[in-house]
Amino acid sequence: MRRAIDDAEAVARALGGDLDAYGVLVARYTVRAHRAAFLLGAGEESDDVVQEAFVKAFRHLSRFRVGEPFGPWLLRIVTNDTRNFTRSRRRREALALRLPSAESGGAAATGPVDEVLAAERRSQLVAAVNGLPDTERQVLVCRYFLDLSEAETAQVLEWPLGSVKSRTSRALNRLRGQLVPREQNPVLDG
Amino acid sequence: MRALGRELDVPPTGDLTAAVLQRLEGRAVRRRHIPTLRTGAFRRRPSWRAALVVFVAVLALLIATPQGRAVIKHVLRFAGIELRQEPSPVRPPESSAPLPGERRMSLEKARRQVSFPILVPATLGRPGEVVVSDNGRVASLIYLRTPYGKVLIDEFAGHLDPVYFQKFVHFGDVTQVEVNGKKGLWITGPHVLMYITRDGKPATASARLTVGNTLIWGTQHVALRLEGKLGKRTALGIADSAR
Repeated sequence: MRRAIDDAEAVARALGGDLDAYGVLVARYTVRAHRAAFLLGAGEESDDVVQEAFVKAFRHLSRFRVGEPFGPWLLRIVTNDTRNFTRSRRRREALALRLPSAESGGAAATGPVDEVLAAERRSQLVAAVNGLPDTERQVLVCRYFLDLSEAETAQVLEWPLGSVKSRTSRALNRLRGQLVPREQNPVLDG
Repeated sequence: MRALGRELDVPPTGDLTAAVLQRLEGRAVRRRHIPTLRTGAFRRRPSWRAALVVFVAVLALLIATPQGRAVIKHVLRFAGIELRQEPSPVRPPESSAPLPGERRMSLEKARRQVSFPILVPATLGRPGEVVVSDNGRVASLIYLRTPYGKVLIDEFAGHLDPVYFQKFVHFGDVTQVEVNGKKGLWITGPHVLMYITRDGKPATASARLTVGNTLIWGTQHVALRLEGKLGKRTALGIADSAR
């Protein structure tokens, strides 16, 4: 049985040429990296983008600082590759963000009125996020859909921390403005 | 927003580990390194690690297509065989791994299956087994009981490439020898042997550790690789007797 090794040890071993140790990192971070690539617009090509990112990460492993968390460092490469990919295609996958299809029509629509309304609001919100300018959409994806902290988001997107804060609040304001006005915006507070 | 994020539809992804590692293995062999012995590595997996650190030889067949050349960075290409050197091992190879599409058959049938003349060393006589692999690309003569233990000869279409050869002779564990007036390579100690498919990629699970020493030589039409617990003189005697 392979003893579970932590990220730092896996990185150290991978730097020494131990590809099996790097395989541990790949297995550990594939789902997260893939989610990031997909939500940032790589679409069907997410697997390829992630594979490319892992290969690149290995090559640049010597730049990885000991003690730094591996996740955000990897996601920065994934994000870059996703950007390059979408730039080269001159598009990002149309409606990168989508809700499961049941959400828009099926079960939810036949449920109690509250649920239907909530589902409708979620659909509107997704459409609104999709319609945001790239930077604002990216910051929301990182902060809320990938659950990254402000500092991690700054690292992943390679922006100053101030830009993360300002773009987040600008994006949220824009969404509030676009959604059907209500007394509160429970969805946006989460 | 976070709750919404959890509801977003993200298609499932497969396990990319194998694909990534395969690409990195390819990348690793593209770098040139001076062999170094890392003593720490010996304690864990001495048998294959030490050998790999020292030397890796690759059986690369018919890599004549431009694509194949782009994929593989040659350290040495000689008689259809590539020799590559690596700083450290990438994977522990299986002790015995098959070539793709192995078929056991008689020597006579094998001769009809392959496009090159199969040479049989007179000193060893008729092989106990003959295996043709990958739709006639390789013929292997297997001698299970010889005075030297099991001896294996792989033969395939290949030719001498002295230009590449010259670059290589200074590497340790590999010496230049002469077989029937032509250059050959004598490799001492175990190394990893890998089969390269027609599209220039290592065949999955084809990597294995060689046994004993290896002699590589060629004629105008066929490249040969002799493997076994043989001394240099014996190996050269066998090679000289191949007709």
